[in-house]
Amino acid sequence: MWEQIQSALSQSTHRVLVQLASFLPGLLAMLVAVLMLTAVGALAAWLLRRILVAVRFDERLSRSRVFAGNSDIQNWSLSHSPSVLLARVVFWGCVVLGTVIGISTFDASFSNNSEISKLLLPYLSRGVSAILLLLAGNLVARFLSRSVLIGAVNAHLQYARMLSEGVKWLVLVLTAAMVLDHLQIGGIVVDLAFGILFGGIVLTLSLAIGLGSRDLVSRSIEKTSERAPDTVAAHPQQSEESGKPPIPIDLLRHF
Amino acid sequence: MALTSEVDTTQPTPDGAIAAPEPLPATGDLLIYLTPLAAPALEATLAHLASSFPPNQAMGNILVAAPDTAQSITASQSLGSLTLLPYSPTTSTLLLTAADYLTAFQMAQEHNARACLLLGPESQNLDPAFVRSLATSLLDSAAADLVLPRYQLAPNSGLVNSAILYPVTRALYSLRPRFPQAVDVGLSLRMAERLAATAQRFTAAGQGDAILWPVAEAASANWPLLEIDAGPRGLPQPTSSNLNVLLTEIAGSFFADIEARASVWQRARPLQPADTAAQSLPSAEALPDVTPMIESFRVAYTNLQEIWSLVLPPQSLLGLKHLSLMPATGFRMNDELWTRVVYDFILAFRLRTINRGHLLGALTPLYLAWAASHILLVGDGVPPEQHIQDLAATFERDKAYLVSRWRWPDRFNP
Repeated sequence: MWEQIQSALSQSTHRVLVQLASFLPGLLAMLVAVLMLTAVGALAAWLLRRILVAVRFDERLSRSRVFAGNSDIQNWSLSHSPSVLLARVVFWGCVVLGTVIGISTFDASFSNNSEISKLLLPYLSRGVSAILLLLAGNLVARFLSRSVLIGAVNAHLQYARMLSEGVKWLVLVLTAAMVLDHLQIGGIVVDLAFGILFGGIVLTLSLAIGLGSRDLVSRSIEKTSERAPDTVAAHPQQSEESGKPPIPIDLLRHF
Repeated sequence: MALTSEVDTTQPTPDGAIAAPEPLPATGDLLIYLTPLAAPALEATLAHLASSFPPNQAMGNILVAAPDTAQSITASQSLGSLTLLPYSPTTSTLLLTAADYLTAFQMAQEHNARACLLLGPESQNLDPAFVRSLATSLLDSAAADLVLPRYQLAPNSGLVNSAILYPVTRALYSLRPRFPQAVDVGLSLRMAERLAATAQRFTAAGQGDAILWPVAEAASANWPLLEIDAGPRGLPQPTSSNLNVLLTEIAGSFFADIEARASVWQRARPLQPADTAAQSLPSAEALPDVTPMIESFRVAYTNLQEIWSLVLPPQSLLGLKHLSLMPATGFRMNDELWTRVVYDFILAFRLRTINRGHLLGALTPLYLAWAASHILLVGDGVPPEQHIQDLAATFERDKAYLVSRWRWPDRFNP
């Protein structure tokens, strides 16, 4: 009995070690490919940056006809300048290329019918796209959260921060659900949990805004019916609680 | 005047702005370009112009480019000493746009005019004597390539100009036009051509309503600038009630222009001598209640600290904290703090520290705090013009900070 257990144990250990030994070279090759392409990317980005600075690329671009007035492009550039943006695109392009080459090397180091190859490779590529999804979701959440916060503050809403946090968490919950779904983790539990959480956040925000904005909405309706069309209202919410008469709308002219 | 133009005259004017070409174009010395006006306002403006340039006073031929929206103006016709030239206007805006500058120059070149006057919205309110002195300074003395008006506004008017546009322009370009973004301007032909060349970049990108900055253009070219008293003028007010949108549009354009001309304003230049005849602003009969503006700033202070801390150094944040704790009656934003705030926002705009739309949105409550502080000061008896001149002087003194941080943005900044 004991001999049989020993034999089963040694056989399974041997099998795992053999599989691990065949798995490691592929993994190492993948890491080498990623690291090499990252180094190449860093070098290419550095060289490109130097060249663009030398030819005054940013200055020329800002004076060019296409980009001179195109504030949309300028607004959406994430880096400090177009040349930095281009250098970063080159760098991250190389990193992605290295990852693709690494995965392909990893794939090639296994036979087609290998269990690890069948299980791990699709999961690895899904993992990469899930990370990208997570990054994009975070960026969108931060952008929308700031947009809502600034918009709400300029609309003089006292609960601006709560609104902004609500929007941020809505997007983050949506992103998390998408990532988990993409990774095929959780199955129907994720769908249910997402539905409950998302619905809960929306309901909370609706209630908070609805209850908190009663006065604002009624004042806004009153103002709209009284406002002259061609002037900037100084501050439409000049309130009755301050005990002062409404501001004549032409008393403050910003422009 | 023979002039090799940099402006591509083969390119169509925005939205086909110039009407059908005339077989024999009228020639003139001065082209007066009127932005879109309602029919009664246009008639009043033309009547004022006719009285400004009576036929018996030699001023040369005066051409008036008038929008053809009024039924009465359909072809080249005369009105006293004026020759009317119809053109198809683009959309009506608050300020003079790239499309306006381009159309005005193309018409001036077509009709061999020596100078242009661009009169903005509500030009029927302009003093005829002012229009005449604008024309005289361009045609007779030719002392300047850019002639700007100095309006007499109440202290509660033109606040964005007083808070940002005037002091920053004065500090950066060492020029003192009180209204750098005036709605009426006089241009020599070469200045009009230069502005049209800039305007063409925008119109080619489909942005005919972009705002241009003539003072910065004049400073870049090192061409002389003149300021003329225009008296009181009813400035056009925006139809939109969203201050944030308008401030974003104007300040965004201004900051972008500053970024594009960094090599110009970083050069040291002598400050244009002060106009000793500069008048004080008329006092407002009633000043607005600033409580909502202060409240708006306080709401922003509790919510926007995270964003402001990305843009402003700790010293400015501390100043804002003190400001948020001040009672409404003693609410004062000192000039040094406002100067640093504006400079740091210009720097953040350049460095793209955060999205530019967000950045300019975060400036709005700070501007409201300055406006509230200014109005309270005026209410306490401080002459408004004195405060604005002091503020501009502070911007001048602190220009070294902007230049230093522009060149070395990563340097430690307490």
